[in-house]
Amino acid sequence: MGVTILTQFPTENRTGPQTIDVLSKRISALGASQQGQFLVDCETYTSAPQLGHQRIVHVLHNSEQPATVFSILESGTKTIPLATDGLFDLLMMKMSSFYTSKKQTKAESKGPRFEIGDFCVKLGTVTISSNFKGILVEVEYRPCVVPVMCWDLMKEFLQGFLGLSGPTNPPAYLQNRMQEIYSPLDTVHQYLEHFTMFRKMPGGVGMRP
Amino acid sequence: MERDLAQLNVALNSVKVLRSNVRSVFESVGNGLRADHGDDGKENKYIIELQELLTTVNNNLRDVENAVASLTPPPGAFSLGNTTYLAQETTQERQALYGQLVNSYKWTDKIREYSALAGNILQTNSFNKTYKTLSTTKRRKTQTSNHNVSPEVIENLITGIDRLFPDVTITTNRPFVPNPVVQASLGRVLKSIIGFKGLMIEWVVVKAHAEASDQWSDSRYKVFQKVTENCHAAMCHFHSPMMPDLAVRSFMHWFHSYNTLFSAPCKRCGNHIHNNLPATWRDLRTLEPYHEECK
Repeated sequence: MGVTILTQFPTENRTGPQTIDVLSKRISALGASQQGQFLVDCETYTSAPQLGHQRIVHVLHNSEQPATVFSILESGTKTIPLATDGLFDLLMMKMSSFYTSKKQTKAESKGPRFEIGDFCVKLGTVTISSNFKGILVEVEYRPCVVPVMCWDLMKEFLQGFLGLSGPTNPPAYLQNRMQEIYSPLDTVHQYLEHFTMFRKMPGGVGMRP
Repeated sequence: MERDLAQLNVALNSVKVLRSNVRSVFESVGNGLRADHGDDGKENKYIIELQELLTTVNNNLRDVENAVASLTPPPGAFSLGNTTYLAQETTQERQALYGQLVNSYKWTDKIREYSALAGNILQTNSFNKTYKTLSTTKRRKTQTSNHNVSPEVIENLITGIDRLFPDVTITTNRPFVPNPVVQASLGRVLKSIIGFKGLMIEWVVVKAHAEASDQWSDSRYKVFQKVTENCHAAMCHFHSPMMPDLAVRSFMHWFHSYNTLFSAPCKRCGNHIHNNLPATWRDLRTLEPYHEECK
């Protein structure tokens, strides 16, 4: 598990599949080979009113860690992350009377997964309750575990195939954690950040299936 | 010693000649009269022949006595050390051990002689594999054997290196007592497994921290495979049989420059990435980062 940077790629006036196609061609031209597909999904549950103060639980799955369920509990000022095994999903079903999910909020990002040298590149099409929302590009540099050491290197790589749309600053979530050892939970946090942004987007924007 | 040996050889030779001539006397006596003595006065001829042979034997005997007289008898009994116990060996197949022992003794003796010669020759024609030039007085002081060093010497060297670089953590493992296998962790960047043979570095593998710490398998990451390759090159470059501890120190100094493996751009092209790899080469003298293709 190495440092991962997640960034949004503007679709401009292309459709989702077209954008993925353009990016796939670019990364293949650099010498990448496709290694299957990937999927990250997020379901959000809110606590029932009788529990008092409202709490939100985001439950995420990442195909890179297939045996783990990640969950992030937001209660006012605090957020509590949790990495558990697959049974957590069943536990959430048992608690359906306390935590209910809004069906319209299920977000996922899926698409092709490429490997190029020690980098792993994932081109995800983001859909929220099966409406197309945008493109998320995930780049992982697997040998390195401390973001501050390899940020410049990853920025160069990202700009190499995203052009000017590549990020110039580290993701907001990582900025306070640049010196720490990277963990899969950090990737999940970044996805959640982007999914939250997509959810807040007005319905009409980017709705090109 | 040399003179004694020569005299001993002369004495042994004269004994050999005496034995051979005594044998011909007995041969002649055993054969008796032969056809080549002819018919006339064959008895006389035979007696003359015998007389001649006996005179030769007499002369030879005198030679032997002279030769033996000039030998100096050894002072007291020979001490064979532990090898005397070999005579008490009763099993058939082990009785030949003494011969083998003598042979191996001869071999070590020869090795000592030749290595002394080689050492002298190398000292006069010194070859420098490192850039550092040292005065000859200093070199003589640090001269140590490379293959057969006590574990304490290696231990001292390793703890010395450990203190030299604060961000290198060294843990030592000794699967075979004199030859440690050292795991050197370089900050949070990488770890290397270094196998020593005496004071010399025998094998280096570079891996990610998350990978297994055995020295037989390669890293699964391309960047560490490349660094391993470069470490082998540096290991050979710094190798110096005359100053093994300096070689290890220079290697570790060079290795320490990898703490910027992911963060330092190439000195030549200014980029981080080339061929999907960071700058994996460090200059041997200046320790500056370069890409494999830029160096």
